[in-house]
Amino acid sequence: MIVRLIVRRMLFLVLVLFGISLITFTLSHVVPADPARMIAGPRASKSTVEKIRHQYGLDDPAPVQYVNYVKGVLRLDFGTSFASRKPVRDDLERYLPATIELGLYAFILATAIGVPLGVASAVKRDSWLDTISRFISISGLALPVFWLALMVQFVFFGKLGWLPDGQRLPIGVDPPRTITSLYAVDALITGDLNLFWLSVQHLIMPVVVLAYGSLAVITRMVRGGMIEVLNQDYIRTARAKGLGKNTIVVRHALKNALLPAVTSLGLQVGLLLSGAFLVELVFSWPGIGRYSVQAIQQIDYNAIMATTLVIALIFVLMNLVVDILYLFLDPRIDYS
Amino acid sequence: MSSEQARPGTFVPGTPAEDQPGPETPLGGLVKRRASNQMRRNLKRFLIGNRLNLIGVIIVVIFFFLAMFGEAVAPHDPYKQDITGSKLLAPSTTHIFGTDELGRDVFSRILAGTRVSLQVAVVVLTFAVIFGTLVGAVSGFFGGIVDEILMRFTDMFLAFPALILAIAIAATLGKSLTNTMIALATVFWPWYARLVRAQVLSIREREFVEAGRSIGLSSSRLMFRHILPNSASVVIIQITLDVGFAILSTSSLSFIGLGAQPPSPEWGTMLSTARNYFRDAWWYTTFPGVALTLTVFAFNVLGDGLQDALDPRSSRR
Repeated sequence: MIVRLIVRRMLFLVLVLFGISLITFTLSHVVPADPARMIAGPRASKSTVEKIRHQYGLDDPAPVQYVNYVKGVLRLDFGTSFASRKPVRDDLERYLPATIELGLYAFILATAIGVPLGVASAVKRDSWLDTISRFISISGLALPVFWLALMVQFVFFGKLGWLPDGQRLPIGVDPPRTITSLYAVDALITGDLNLFWLSVQHLIMPVVVLAYGSLAVITRMVRGGMIEVLNQDYIRTARAKGLGKNTIVVRHALKNALLPAVTSLGLQVGLLLSGAFLVELVFSWPGIGRYSVQAIQQIDYNAIMATTLVIALIFVLMNLVVDILYLFLDPRIDYS
Repeated sequence: MSSEQARPGTFVPGTPAEDQPGPETPLGGLVKRRASNQMRRNLKRFLIGNRLNLIGVIIVVIFFFLAMFGEAVAPHDPYKQDITGSKLLAPSTTHIFGTDELGRDVFSRILAGTRVSLQVAVVVLTFAVIFGTLVGAVSGFFGGIVDEILMRFTDMFLAFPALILAIAIAATLGKSLTNTMIALATVFWPWYARLVRAQVLSIREREFVEAGRSIGLSSSRLMFRHILPNSASVVIIQITLDVGFAILSTSSLSFIGLGAQPPSPEWGTMLSTARNYFRDAWWYTTFPGVALTLTVFAFNVLGDGLQDALDPRSSRR
C-alpha cells in the first residue's frame, strides 16, 4: 500500500520535473537577448558569434536543443556558465553546501523555538507568552526578510560591532577540511575550536534572520493545532479521569497537534529557499542564492536555469518526503 | 457584493439582485433590514471586537489614500535632486525622514512609492484572478480529462517556490517593473485556479444548482450567475491576503535589482540603494522598510479578519 503510494508519487515527480525543465527551457528561449552574443562579448565579430552559436548548439531547432538540454541535465551537466566560463555544475557544488548550512540551522532553530512556544501559548492562552507568540507570528509574515537582514546587520555589525557583517569566514582564513561541507560541523570534527567559533559567529545573523519567517509559521500552526486538539472530547475524557495537565499535553495532545505543522514543512522549505536568496545577498553569503542573483545580474542563462531547476528539485523532493512522513504519522490519511 | 450574500451556505436559489423581492413589498423590506442588521453586527464585531482588525483597516485606508494623492500631499518633490545642499541629511523638521544620496526627501519618496506598490498589486492580482478563475472554473465544471490536464499543468507551476519562479521569470524577461508584474501574475494564478476549482466542485453539487439545471439553465448561466458568485467570498479573502504578498514580492525582486528601476520610489528599489549607505544613513534604510512592513502587516491582518468573519469554517486561529 505504502509502496504503491510512493511509486505513484515518484511517477508524478517525474512528470513535475519534466514540466519544470520545460518551463525553464522555454523561459530561456523566449528571451530577446542572444546568448551567443553574450558569450562572445559585445566587441566580437559576427563570424565569432556564429562560431560560438554553432559550438554551443544554439543554431539547432528548439526541440533538438531541448532534448540535448534534458540529456545534459540527466547527466547532471547544466552547461557552461557564461559568466564564470566554468561548468555550472562545479559552481553548484561549490555554493550549494553554504545554502544547505544556512537553511538547515535556520530550520532547526525555528522548530526548536517554534514548537514549544506554540504549545505553551496554546496551553496558557492570553498570557504574556501567548502575546509574544502572536506578535512573532504576525510580524514574521509581514517583515520583509531582506529588510530585517539589513536592520540586524546595521545594529549588530554597524553599531555594536559584536558580529561580522557577512561571509562564511573572515577573508584569509582557510576553511576546515571538507567532510560534510558545513564549516561549523567540519571544524568541530577536526577539533579546531577556534575555527568553529569563527564560523558560528558568521552564522548567527543570517541564520536567525532566515529562521524568523519559519518560526512565525511554525508557532502559528502549532498554536492553532494545539488549541483545536485541546477542545476535543478525548482530551476532556483524559482530564475527567484525572490525568495531570502536562501528561495530557505531552502524551495525548502533542502528536495530533503537530500534524498541521508537519504539513507546513513543505511550505517551510519553500520559505527558507526563497529567503536564502535575499539573506545571502545582504550577508554576502556565498550560497546558491547569491550565485543566482549574480547570474541574474550578468544574464547568465545556464546558471539561472540550473539553479532554478535544482531549487525546484529540492522543493519537490522535500515535499515528497513530507507526504510520506505524514502517512506514517497519521494513519487516517488515505492517499489512494 | 454584500458579505451576507457571498457567504457559503446562505445563498438562496436564483437570487441575483433583480430576482429578490423589492423593498416595496413588506416581506422584502423585512428580509433586507434583517440582512443589513446582521451585516452591521458582523462589521461591528470585525472592527471593534478585534482591535488588530481596526488597525489593519486604518492602515489600508491610509495606504489607498496615499496611493491616490501621495504625490500631491508630499511636502517635497519625490524626484527633485539636490546633490550640493542636502545629500544624506538626517531627519529634521524640513525632512522628517531625512534625505537620500541624491538629496531627495525620503518621506516624499515613500509616499510616492505607495502608488507603485498598489499599481503592481492591482495589475498582478487582476490577471492572476481572471486567468486562475477561468482555469479553475473550467476544470471544476467539466471534470474528467479536461480537469486532469489543467490541474497537472497547474501543479507544475506550484512545484516551484513562488518567489524563486518569479525571480527566474523576471530575470529571463529582463529588469523592469512590467516584467516583474508578468512574473508575479504567472506565479499567482495557479493558487486561484486551485481555489476556484475546489469551490466549483463543492458548489456544483448543491441543491440550488441542481434546481437551476432542472429548470433548464444553460451551463454558462449556471457558471457565471450562480456558481462563481458563490465562490466570490473565498476568492476575495485570498485576494486580500495576496495584496500584501504581491507588494512584498515586488519589493523583494526590486531589492535584487529586477523589479522597479531607479529613480522609481518603489520601496524595495529604495532599500536596494539605501543598503550602500547603511552605516551613515540609518533613516534611509529604516523608513522604507517600516512602510513596507506596515502595509504588508495591514493587508495580512485584514485578510485574516475577513476570513474569520466570512468563512468561519476555515478559521486559522
